[in-house]
Amino acid sequence: MNFFFDLVIGGLSIGACYALVALAMVIIYKTSEVPNFAQGEMAMISTFIAFTLMSNYGAGFWTSAGITLLFALALGVVLEVAFLRPAKDPSILGLIVITLGAEMILYGLAGWKWGANQVPFPVPFSEYSGISPGGVMITEINIWTFVTSLVLMLLLFLFFRFTKLGVAMKAVQQNHFAAKAMGIPTRRVLSFTWGLSSVTGAVAGMLIAPISTLDPNMMLDPMMKGFAGAVLGGMTSLPGAALGGYLLGLIENFFGGYVSLEFKSVVAFGVIVLILCVKPSGLFVRHFERKV
Amino acid sequence: MKKGLAILVSIICLALLAGSFTSVAAADKVRGVTDTEIIIGQWGPQTGPAALWGSVARGSGVYFDMINAEGGINGRKIKYVLRDDAYQPAKTKAIAKEFVEDIGVFGVACGVGTSPGMAVRDYLMENKVPWVGPATGSRHWTEPFQKYLFALYPRYADEAYLLTQYAVEKLNKKKIGFFYQNDDYGKEGMEGAKKYLDKKGIKLAAEVPVEVTDTDLKSHALKLKESGADAVIMWVLPKHAATILGQAKAAGFQPQWIASSTLSDAPLMHKLTKGLWEGVIYANFLDIDSPKVKKYLEAQKKFAPNEQNTGVFFLAGFMFVEPLVEGLRRAGKDLNPETFVKAMETIKNWNDWLGHDCTFTAQDHQGMRSIFLSKCGPEGKAEKIADWMTYKEGK
Repeated sequence: MNFFFDLVIGGLSIGACYALVALAMVIIYKTSEVPNFAQGEMAMISTFIAFTLMSNYGAGFWTSAGITLLFALALGVVLEVAFLRPAKDPSILGLIVITLGAEMILYGLAGWKWGANQVPFPVPFSEYSGISPGGVMITEINIWTFVTSLVLMLLLFLFFRFTKLGVAMKAVQQNHFAAKAMGIPTRRVLSFTWGLSSVTGAVAGMLIAPISTLDPNMMLDPMMKGFAGAVLGGMTSLPGAALGGYLLGLIENFFGGYVSLEFKSVVAFGVIVLILCVKPSGLFVRHFERKV
Repeated sequence: MKKGLAILVSIICLALLAGSFTSVAAADKVRGVTDTEIIIGQWGPQTGPAALWGSVARGSGVYFDMINAEGGINGRKIKYVLRDDAYQPAKTKAIAKEFVEDIGVFGVACGVGTSPGMAVRDYLMENKVPWVGPATGSRHWTEPFQKYLFALYPRYADEAYLLTQYAVEKLNKKKIGFFYQNDDYGKEGMEGAKKYLDKKGIKLAAEVPVEVTDTDLKSHALKLKESGADAVIMWVLPKHAATILGQAKAAGFQPQWIASSTLSDAPLMHKLTKGLWEGVIYANFLDIDSPKVKKYLEAQKKFAPNEQNTGVFFLAGFMFVEPLVEGLRRAGKDLNPETFVKAMETIKNWNDWLGHDCTFTAQDHQGMRSIFLSKCGPEGKAEKIADWMTYKEGK
């Protein structure tokens, strides 16, 4: 029975990371209908920044994490302004290709700056010890992952519900032209969307690095899984995408634990195909007619 | 019309004749060998995901510089050509073509990676390019037998056989788990372990595969724990080795971990695992305590002072070309692929290198089948726990 609960904990903790990546994707997707494929690399670069601050400048973990989040915000804004905005009459496909290009540039940049070597990512909480109610081990990093992801989700919810900027973002995503006509600076809002998404991704990166290792390839897999989770839950719904991330983490771990480890990674993509066939708008989203 | 055809045919015949004459003339001259030079090529990932292993190719470069500074081989200096294939077989193919058709190399040294190597093996063999010391332990270098290919890296299967034998006979482990990368590299390792266990009538307690791209290894760790294995042998990437140790410890599962020689850079692994590597037993193919290491690192300070990675993989770049240079020496002044192969096949139980008991015969080009074992001590210091042991077929 412990095996079962261990899998639940494992599934939820990696699921929380997938959920954050999924959220980061959905924040951008909702405002511009572009799945941002540079998401993973943006998070990876931010995590490397935190690592550099700690190892080269001797900064503490929390200082580094704080600076990293600011950096992530700037990175998101800069990418939007430098890459997406200059596109003339952009089609969705064109923008997707731009995000792919940005992904390759960031990947190359990380390889050049930090090399391909794996490095350990130090965190001030233990990856191995924690509490074990009834013999099921919940490590400190697990707890931190749960807490951080839940708090961040709550903050995002409050932000979109109660702040002017958050409401403006929702307005832009619902009707770009009307929002502009109402005096909302849509371009600035769009840039900020990227910044916010980048911050969410950076948090995911800093939670994934300690349970794995830090290297330029580290976000490849979590990013695809986060994407799958977002599709599973619904690309147009923040809570849906988050739930999708958790669900995917659980599905993966149960599949690995009880069926086959060989196909554990493939399950995510099987899920995408299945959902696209059965309920293309996602599990937790009411059927959504495309905007005309 | 008919006349035109006759003229055409005769032109073609003449052209063919001329062609055969030039090729006769070229046969006198050996590709990549002049009175003063021998050209040797190597590919290695200087960029991309496997760049960590790129230091192998740079190590070989320093060794050749050192040999040249000592006066070269039979009056010839080695001209070394290093190309970056970024661990992409398609690029390796282009490099091999460049080596043979543009540069005209005499031979090829090392080359990291099984799939990059496999992409060019047949091409190099068809063109009679001697190739010494592919930097991986795949069996494909010597099975089927290739006349111009000399393998040094102990085969993964042999290595796993010896490691499993050690775990069962010396450590008295009863249940062995195997954690492997789900491709040729990992599977060849597991075959070796099974070969030994089959003889003893034991089954692996767990066979846990990992995909190269996997990040979350929690369920892998739990599977290993479920099996109740008291020793787990790993045939994976450094990244996955580090992750599984952490996840297993978090799950309260701490067997005797045993690692392949690809994970033999103990200081690096110790750092990567934040100290969890301590106590891990692993195989080595390179004698890091050899007095030659000091000499080689001095050469590195002289010829490549900016080199960052001077660990096991860098030194492996020296080790894999030591027999190549010995072969070139033994082939003498009259150097061509045939005399070189003959010379290489005279190398028997040769120990003037960082490896152990290098032996080539006319039937078997697997030059080394030995490993020794170390245990990672505090601060990543290697402690030798078992001296060179050699795998013998049919033992």
